[in-house]
Amino acid sequence: MIVGETHESASDKPEHVAAPIAPSEAAEALKNGPVGAFVVSAIAVGLLFIGWMAFYFFLFIPRGPIG
Amino acid sequence: MANPLPDGVVPEEVVVRTERRWVLIMATMLAVMMLVIVVTGVSGALHPASNVEVIDSRTLHLEGEFVESNLGTAIEPDGSATVRLIAVQYDFVPHCVQVPVNTPVKFRITSADVVHGFLLPDTNINTMVVPGFVAEVRTRFTKTGDYEMPCHEFCGLGHHAMWTRVSVVPAEQFSGMGVLERRRCGVR
Repeated sequence: MIVGETHESASDKPEHVAAPIAPSEAAEALKNGPVGAFVVSAIAVGLLFIGWMAFYFFLFIPRGPIG
Repeated sequence: MANPLPDGVVPEEVVVRTERRWVLIMATMLAVMMLVIVVTGVSGALHPASNVEVIDSRTLHLEGEFVESNLGTAIEPDGSATVRLIAVQYDFVPHCVQVPVNTPVKFRITSADVVHGFLLPDTNINTMVVPGFVAEVRTRFTKTGDYEMPCHEFCGLGHHAMWTRVSVVPAEQFSGMGVLERRRCGVR
């Protein structure tokens, strides 16, 4: 950029930030809440939970107490 | 410019309901994990090694249970085994010990110089070995074989080469060994 030249950011232009969906369509899609995000989060957290349980019962417990 | 998705697109009650459900799921998961830890901990007497026992690290080789002739594996009157080791830059003494399989084994370890670490793969044993204190950990080996024990607490320039070995052997083979043989694992 040339020194002294004013620069205007384009990051807030509608073509960069606007969702490709009308507010009315967004409202219709989200009327029951963000179900899709809920499902993705539940799967991710569920896998972590299962992993924790598997480590605890199949690795830690069989190795026995040390104290 | 107008926000294409202004606040209020998702009804307030839906937002509140979603957040409440998620918090409930998280709280339930945490409660289950805590319950599992407490129940198994109490019923199985699981607790960290909490032995606090002091010893004079300057006289280990002169008197007490860590004199050289007393190191290695000893069989107690109740049939369990006690392994005594000294950690020193950069080795464990003895360098290898033999223990019987399916027998309660108690490791008693102390350091003659700096802080070392003691870790046994395939067991929950993982403790620091601090000069002036005796670390005591227990386990039971259910499979025969060699278990390599690295020092896992940086103890100086030779730390990476500091390791020793526990050789788990059948009980009948162990009972036929002499005291010195229990401290050796042969040339490898």
